[in-house]
Amino acid sequence: MSVQKAVNGKLTMLIKKLGKTSLELFDYQVGNSFHAVIGPMGNATPIKKYGNIVWGADLVCGYAENWAHCNALRRIEGNHVISMVSFPSKEDVYLEEELRSVSDEYYITTYDGSYGRKGHYLDILEDLLCEGRVDIVFACGDIATMKDLAKITKRFDVPAKVVLRQIMVDATGMCGSCRVFIDGEMKLTCIDGPMFDAHKVDFDEVINRLGMFKKAEETAKERYLVKGE
Amino acid sequence: MVKDIRKNRVPMPEQPVETRITNFHEVPLGYSPEQAIEEAKRCLQCGKPPCIGNCPVEVDVKQFLKELSEGCFREAFLTIKKCNPIPAIAGRVCPQENQCEGACTLGNIGSQINIGKLESFLGDWAMENGVEEAFTINEKPEKVAVIGSGPSGISCSVDLRKNGYQVTLFEALHKAGGVLQYGIPEFRLPKKVVDEELSYLNKIGVDIKLNTIIGQNLSFKELREEYDAIFVCTGAGAPRFLRIPGEELNGLYSANEFLIRTNLMKAYMFPDEYDTPIVVGDRVAVIGAGNVAMDAARCSIRMGSKVSMIYRRSRKESPARIEEVQHALEEGLDLMELVNPVRILGENGWVKGVQLIRMRLGDPDETGRRKPYPVPGSEFVVNFDTVIEAIGTLPNRLFLERARGLEVNKKGGILVDENLQTRIEGVFAGGDAISGGATVIQALGEGRKAAKSIHEYLKRKH
Repeated sequence: MSVQKAVNGKLTMLIKKLGKTSLELFDYQVGNSFHAVIGPMGNATPIKKYGNIVWGADLVCGYAENWAHCNALRRIEGNHVISMVSFPSKEDVYLEEELRSVSDEYYITTYDGSYGRKGHYLDILEDLLCEGRVDIVFACGDIATMKDLAKITKRFDVPAKVVLRQIMVDATGMCGSCRVFIDGEMKLTCIDGPMFDAHKVDFDEVINRLGMFKKAEETAKERYLVKGE
Repeated sequence: MVKDIRKNRVPMPEQPVETRITNFHEVPLGYSPEQAIEEAKRCLQCGKPPCIGNCPVEVDVKQFLKELSEGCFREAFLTIKKCNPIPAIAGRVCPQENQCEGACTLGNIGSQINIGKLESFLGDWAMENGVEEAFTINEKPEKVAVIGSGPSGISCSVDLRKNGYQVTLFEALHKAGGVLQYGIPEFRLPKKVVDEELSYLNKIGVDIKLNTIIGQNLSFKELREEYDAIFVCTGAGAPRFLRIPGEELNGLYSANEFLIRTNLMKAYMFPDEYDTPIVVGDRVAVIGAGNVAMDAARCSIRMGSKVSMIYRRSRKESPARIEEVQHALEEGLDLMELVNPVRILGENGWVKGVQLIRMRLGDPDETGRRKPYPVPGSEFVVNFDTVIEAIGTLPNRLFLERARGLEVNKKGGILVDENLQTRIEGVFAGGDAISGGATVIQALGEGRKAAKSIHEYLKRKH
């Protein structure tokens, strides 16, 4: 899940049905409530002049973060915001109009080619990097994509920042579960992140640790589905 | 006339080992009223009681033992409560052997009075019988913010409120109590006791705001504008890591993560009643030998694991409470002394073992304990599938990094003067946030001291 916007006390979130918690959220009825909502957590992205900005997103809910950032960055004079998104297939596409409306350029790809260009946005990014049209790249979504993105941008010597996700318990710096390694140094995604220099992140470690509770996640989901029947 | 003194304690009934390693219920079953009276009667009522001076909050131990020995439970409870707002909790978690009990004169001829268990007996008795301290509050208009609802936040809030101040107690987590809630396990400190004893704060009118992270949802600046004084007691909950190779592996936890999952989030009841999972392997290594290490080890044992504790010194240097060490050993803990981890070994991204090196003890260091040195060429490997690092904590830095103007020392502890005032006027600090990690009772003492300083400060100001 991710937050698209928080305006006048109203929170807009995008949630993908995936595990036990998201399934439960979709079963909420009008009148149900959360115990508490705390946020925003972590550090804010500096909204300033960067020049030609690429914001890439794929996988689950990166698009919401994309929208919020593009919307803010585009209001700064001298910024040119290029959105890039990838979906598995045409029927997975969402938030297209909203994202298009806050981007100076908008590129969409699907893995099966059923909508937009076939393939991944990284291909388009590479083209733009070749043309020398990119000053900085931001990305959220799939960690494996970030790993490739880091390699590509490094080759062109263009700075890249990624929004990392890691498993957290308290999200206030007390558990160390969300530790990531930046240039070999341990950092916490919750209070040092969520954005890190893509060229310094140990992505294999991030991917491995994201899988630590896979079995338990499956168990919880199965039990929730059985209970609902 | 010399009384016939019982040399030994009235034995504390406990859950048998084979039962308790299968559950998270409290290990000591508590004294009956008769047993409590009998134990209290052992007190010599010393002319100059050393127990009182050795208590960080100076509970009148002599007086409460006298009252208890006469069966006056209410009076005995109120005597403690004057100095300690949470007797049922403190009686369970204080390192009494280094404090009141450590100084007890009876130790010269037999075993010291079981002051801790008598204190928690009275705390429990008062809760069961609805006995409370009676006092009137003369309301004052000044507002004080207390950041963090751990032991020092609790005692500071209580004292300020009794003095009439409008107190708001902020807590980041969804339950009040700080380390009492997330750190100390159920079998040592039942959460029902914590919740009930803390409900006293609500009753006297402390406004507790849960789920509020100062420095994140509400800025320090906003707080300073709204309140006349602030007490920062954000604790030392940030885990220290060994910084050795292999800490990125799955199956490695900080003791904090392990205990937060287990205690606060009740992972041992996953997936039946709670949603937070925990993965504990068959063979667990706990690194460190303090109270937190003992807690992590005993939680693992209760989740069905075989647990080894890796300690670089020897058992007698362990800073843990004697009762915890004894309980852990009874429960099957394998204490590996004079060994230190060099690297965590992994396979397919998961912990597989720990490479250890043998240590020898040299001369005492600044803590008075003999300093361990590695023995060259003595490295060996032991297989484990879970590693829990319990080598201490650091002050929480989330708030400190966002609180402009607060100065900290090299270890991240907030700098304060002798009255616990920070470099910012009207902002005080105490507990683990200044010391970097101490005991519950020391934090309680600092909370009380801060309340006094804040009272003086507000009196001067208005």
